Amino acid sequence: MLKRAHAAGQWSFMRVEGVFNAAFGDRLNPLYYLGPISYFLLWIAVGTGLILYALFETSVIGAYDSVDALSRDHPWSGGLLRSLHRYASDGVILTMLLHLVRHWSFDRYRGFRWFSWVSGVALLWLVYTVGINGYMLPWDRLSQFVVVATAEWFDWLPVFNGALVRNFIFTENVSDRLFSLLAFIHIGVSLVILAILWVHTQRVPQARTVPPLPIALGLTGAMVALSLAAPAMSQARADLALAVTDLEFDWFYLPAYALLYRTSPATLWMVLAGASLLFLLLPWLPPRRRALAGDLSHVLVRPDNRIVPVRDGETVLDAGLREGIAFPFDCRSGGCGRCKATLTAGRIDYGNCQPGVLTDAERADGKFLLCTAVALGDIEVAYEPETAPGGLAPRLWNARVALIEPLSHDVKRVVLNVEGGEAPEFYAGQYLNILLEDGEKRAFSFATAPRRSPEVELQIRLIPGGRFTTHVFEAMKPGDAIRFEGPLGAFFLREESDKPIIFVAGSTGFAPVKSMVEYAFQRGMTRRMLLYWGARRLRDLYLPELPRQWAREHPNFEFIPVLSDAAPEDAWTGRTGLVHEAILEDFPDLGAYQVYACGSAGMVEAAYPAFRAHGLSADECFSDAFRLTPALRSEQVDLVKPGGGA
Amino acid sequence: MKAVLRIAAQFALYLPLMLLIGVFSTWPRFQVIAPGEALVRVSMTHAGARKVACRTRSAAELAKLAPNMRNPQDCSRERAALVVELEIDGALAWRTEAQPAGLQRDGASTIYHRMTLPAGRHRIVARLRDTADGPFNHVREAVLELPAGAALLIDFAADKGGLQFRT
Repeated sequence: MLKRAHAAGQWSFMRVEGVFNAAFGDRLNPLYYLGPISYFLLWIAVGTGLILYALFETSVIGAYDSVDALSRDHPWSGGLLRSLHRYASDGVILTMLLHLVRHWSFDRYRGFRWFSWVSGVALLWLVYTVGINGYMLPWDRLSQFVVVATAEWFDWLPVFNGALVRNFIFTENVSDRLFSLLAFIHIGVSLVILAILWVHTQRVPQARTVPPLPIALGLTGAMVALSLAAPAMSQARADLALAVTDLEFDWFYLPAYALLYRTSPATLWMVLAGASLLFLLLPWLPPRRRALAGDLSHVLVRPDNRIVPVRDGETVLDAGLREGIAFPFDCRSGGCGRCKATLTAGRIDYGNCQPGVLTDAERADGKFLLCTAVALGDIEVAYEPETAPGGLAPRLWNARVALIEPLSHDVKRVVLNVEGGEAPEFYAGQYLNILLEDGEKRAFSFATAPRRSPEVELQIRLIPGGRFTTHVFEAMKPGDAIRFEGPLGAFFLREESDKPIIFVAGSTGFAPVKSMVEYAFQRGMTRRMLLYWGARRLRDLYLPELPRQWAREHPNFEFIPVLSDAAPEDAWTGRTGLVHEAILEDFPDLGAYQVYACGSAGMVEAAYPAFRAHGLSADECFSDAFRLTPALRSEQVDLVKPGGGA
Repeated sequence: MKAVLRIAAQFALYLPLMLLIGVFSTWPRFQVIAPGEALVRVSMTHAGARKVACRTRSAAELAKLAPNMRNPQDCSRERAALVVELEIDGALAWRTEAQPAGLQRDGASTIYHRMTLPAGRHRIVARLRDTADGPFNHVREAVLELPAGAALLIDFAADKGGLQFRT
């Protein structure tokens, strides 16, 4: 039943949004910005309200006269402001309700979204409160009706029991102070709304609070036109000695008051209390959302090479944005296609999108929309970055091999010289993709700190049978032409943190770590840094003297080599075992640390959950070069491995 | 041409939205009370008489009390409920009994009731009993001309002679 209702709601929204897309285009469709439009209209109401308050007289006579004069004597200024205030407030209710119904229809109110839902419902009630309170201020017949109706409604409660309305049945009981109180409530509740709205919005990663300018301008123009065509006017002056018979009625804010006089206060209390309870409990009511692979799955995002957690029912876009992935996006509603990405492994629920945004052929090719897709277990995705960290956009470079020299039995240092003398900019820890002739790519990390030099240093390990690395070891010579793209990836040193750093390097995972450590020294960073470099045998630590030299020269740096398979001839007396186990022995609680892990797929896959289980925050764990989904764990694990592609 | 069409289409979609807001912000009118009717409200806050009359303590009883507690009158706190009847044109239109406020039922009783009457001349009798038993001890009767949309308020003010009819 609920599923059918959701499906019907989704169908309706998609059709109407399709119509709006035809008129507004898929990136300026107002229906994709119901939340920001609510914000915008609220700001119009707040802005106009502040000016109206300055012109409002808080007295029995003055309240009516001052407001009525705005409309009658100053229709092009005060009257316009008053009308804008009224219609923007009505618009807030309309867009908030649409926003709420859309989230309900698309089943985006349960699970982790409960807080947004509950705070949204609270906001809706508060907006009703401030709107109804606002109708008390002009002190016309509608104000009289609203004040008396509110009192009669509340008087049903035993705590008032008929006493409240006595303040409004005698003319002499209404004093000037009432209007100061009403204005205070109007402004106070509005401030509470803004505060809760801020909290409500913070829960959504990179939530928009302002609609695109064309929509804002269009809405403002339409509101002004409406205000001029049908200006808000006061009704007759309030007279408590007379009964209110019939009224021009705002059906956006006052339908409950119509119900009050068609039923009874008790019925209205029951209806509103029941509706509030139902709305508040909706996120927990059955049927329960199907349980997937537990409450948390993971998404491996390329080219950032980051694993981000994704909560049950969360869109891949939201999960990525929450973790700082620079996913491109616009409408967030399956309408514009800007967030199109490629699913490289795992299963997803594609969600609903507009026809043509994602064709069957694209879907067959692995394409999907980040904003509508929900992970059904661990997945891997790739997207085209529009921006890189710090605004360093990846680009193509032509270079020539300047130097190639062995660092160990299976690692070579390759220095590329970028043509034209340009110095590639990158962040310490990022990588580049070498482009092979057939379009295939091989990823390698920059092995030095960023510098103003056209030289790019790589450390390349021989992968037995690997096409490119075999070429490097057997045929590459100085002067050979190389094309590469970069910089890529979000694996780079976070300078804003003060936490001590643990670097975990496996084999040629040392290359990006070298880049970061050298950069940290250049910057004079005094944070404690520990490098755990894991290798099978002693000969695999291809630059052992360099980190030892760092340790001698920098008191905040420590180097701990760890061998997992030391041979007798290595005469190894240092740490042995798996590198991440050595770290866990030394640091049972990683809650106060940042960890940068780079190495083989197996190493990072084993280390990540172990570190997390020992208190490492997901926000403080940065890793590179791994596979996430079981299907790929045993295959082509070296396809992307900074410091050593195949 | 396409841009013009698109702007026209946007206008065509904004128009019903603004119409929706503009229209339902004032229309349809809400009829609070039917045409040709007048409003009658009964509203009073009044503490009834003590449920049990005060008793004068004897000298012996006073002597047993601490000097600061020697109040010659012994009064219970509980007050009588208010009983109100409204008779309109010879028929009982409404009757209620309102208990005093407070855990000890020693506060004022509050009554509020609203009803409508066809506009015109009516003979209205309001009766109030604020004692524990006996007949209604406050009665007011009047023949009133209530035009459509008029509001009659029936109140009780002991210092103004009891039941009040205010129009």
